Amino acid sequence: MTEGLSDLILNFKRDAVLENVERRLGSGEDPLRILDDCRRGMSLVGERFQEGDFFLAELILSAEIFKEVAAIIEPHLSKANPAQTKGRVLIGTLQGDIHELGKNILVTLLRAHGFAVHDLGVDVPPPAVVEKVQEFQPHVVGFSALITTAFPSMKEAVALLQEAGLRDSVKVMIGGGVTTAGVRDYVGADFQTTDAMEGVAYCLNITGGK
Amino acid sequence: MAGDMMTGTERLWAAIRLEKTDRVPIVPQLMPEPAAHLTGTTLARVAADNAAALDAILKTFDEYGGWDSIYPGAYTPLQLQALGADPMKVRIPGRDLPDDYMWQLVEEEVLQPQDYDKISEMGFDRFYHEDYLARISNLTKDDVNREMGALLTTGVRFLAECDKRKVKPFFMGTGMHPFFTLSLMRSMVAFTKDLYYHPEPVERAIKRMTADVIASQIPFAKEFGLGTLLITEERACAYFYPPRVFERFWWPYTKQIVSAFWSEGIVTIFHLDQCWDKNIRYFCELPKGSFVLELDSKTDIFAAKDVLRGHACFHGDVPAALLSVGTPDEVRDYCRRLISGAGDDGGLILGSGCAVPCNVKPENFRAMIETGKNTKA
Repeated sequence: MTEGLSDLILNFKRDAVLENVERRLGSGEDPLRILDDCRRGMSLVGERFQEGDFFLAELILSAEIFKEVAAIIEPHLSKANPAQTKGRVLIGTLQGDIHELGKNILVTLLRAHGFAVHDLGVDVPPPAVVEKVQEFQPHVVGFSALITTAFPSMKEAVALLQEAGLRDSVKVMIGGGVTTAGVRDYVGADFQTTDAMEGVAYCLNITGGK
Repeated sequence: MAGDMMTGTERLWAAIRLEKTDRVPIVPQLMPEPAAHLTGTTLARVAADNAAALDAILKTFDEYGGWDSIYPGAYTPLQLQALGADPMKVRIPGRDLPDDYMWQLVEEEVLQPQDYDKISEMGFDRFYHEDYLARISNLTKDDVNREMGALLTTGVRFLAECDKRKVKPFFMGTGMHPFFTLSLMRSMVAFTKDLYYHPEPVERAIKRMTADVIASQIPFAKEFGLGTLLITEERACAYFYPPRVFERFWWPYTKQIVSAFWSEGIVTIFHLDQCWDKNIRYFCELPKGSFVLELDSKTDIFAAKDVLRGHACFHGDVPAALLSVGTPDEVRDYCRRLISGAGDDGGLILGSGCAVPCNVKPENFRAMIETGKNTKA
C-alpha cells in the first residue's frame, strides 16, 4: 500500500493518487501515515531530480498533486495530533519585484517536504520581514527575485535583521534566475540558488531534516 | 572609434556569418527602462510614451559613445500587450506601480484548456484580438489602433535615427516562440499540466501558431530588409522540461521556423533565457550561420561555443546581476574572458545577459561598452 502511493506520485498519476488517499481515509487509516507516504513519494521525486532524471516540470507536477492531497487530509488531522513539520521557512519577493512564479514553486515544494511556510507575498517592504521573523521565528528566511530591482531590498532586509539582533537566529537564502553568488555576497545572505530543489535541500540540512 | 577597420554593420554581419572581425561587435540589449535610468528619466515616463522610450535609448547611445547595432525597444508595455508580444496582465509604473518601478507581468491562468482548439481554428492573431485581449486588458479596438499607430510612427523615426548614426537596428519586431506564448497565457504550472495530461490540443495550437509566426514574420522582415528576426523563448529548455517534452513540443516547430526564415535569407535571433546546456547540441541540426543564440549567462556560453564553434554566432552574456551590483573591474574582466573564450574565432556579439537591468550602474554599462571597443579580436 505504502509503496503504491509513492509510486503513483513518482509517476505523476494524479487521479490515482487522490483515489488512493480518499479510499484509505474512508477505511479509517491514520491520516498522518497517508501524509507520510505522500512525502516519501515527494522525496523520491526530489532524489530523481537531483540525479538528473527528473526536471523542474516534474517537481511541479508532483508538488501540485501533493497540494491536493494535503487539502484532502487537512480536515482529518486533529488539533491534538497535527502533522509534524521539519522546520519553519519564511519566504517573500521583496520590494521592487512583484513576480511570484519561482517563489510559489518553492513554497509548494517546501510544504510538500514537510515545512511550515509563511509566504509574505510580493513587493514586501524590508521592515515587514523583520516583523514576521520576530513573530514566526523561522529557521530559514528566503527571498526570491526575477529582476535586479529586488536586490537592494534584500540587502536592506538583511541589515534590518542584523540591527534587530535576529540575523544570527536565522539562515538567509536567496533564489531566482537573476541571482548569483555575487548577489549573495552583496545582500549578505548565507545561500543562493537558481534551483528550487537545492533550496529545499538547504532547508532540510539547516533543520536537520535530512 | 580610432583603429576600427569595419563599420558597425559590417562588423555585426561578419560575426553573424562567422567571419573575422576587427573587434567584437557590441549590441547591448538596452530596453527603455535602463535607458531611462541612465538618462535621468522616470520609468513611468518611458512606460507611458514610446517616443520618450526611443529618446532615452538614443540619448544613451549618444552619451556612451555608440555601438554597432541598436536593439529595438521603443515600445510601451501596453503596446506589447496590444501586439500580443506580452500576452499577460501587466502592472505599469505610474498606473499600477510607483514611478520608479519596472513594469511587470502577472502570471495567471488566463488561457483556458478549451482555448487551444480555438487558436487552432481561428489562428493566433484573430483569437488574440477578438477573444483573448479583453481578458487581460481594457484596451478597446480604438486603443489598439492608436497604440499601433504610435508604434509605427516611432518605428519610422527609429529607422531614421539609426541611419543618422550609421547603424542598423539589430532586428525589428518582437517574435515569440509559440511554446513560450502559450506558457505565458496559460501560466507555467497549468501549461505544464496540459503538456503532461492533455497534450494533443496544445500540440494542435503550437502547430497552427508556428504557421502563423512564419506567415506573419517573413513579410515583416522583408519590409525592413534587415535580414534578422527575433524568436524569444524562456521556458522550454532542460532547466524546465525533459528532452521528450522539448523534442515533441519545441524542437520540430523551431526547425520549421528557422528553415522557413533561412529559405528567405533571414537569420533567426534566438533570445534564450535560463540554462540551455542540455539543449545546445540540438542546434547543430540547423544550417550553419542561420541563427544567433542570445544567452543570459545561465547557459555555459563557453561550453556552448565548443559545441557550435564555426556553426553559430553567440550574443551575450554579461550577467544582469553583475551590471547591477558588480564593479567596473569585474565587468571588464568578464567581458575580456568572454571575448577571448567565446569570440576567439569570431562568432560573438558582445551584449548583456537577457537585458541590461533597469538599475544598471552607469560605470558598469560604460565598462562593458568600452571593453568591447578596446579589446582586440
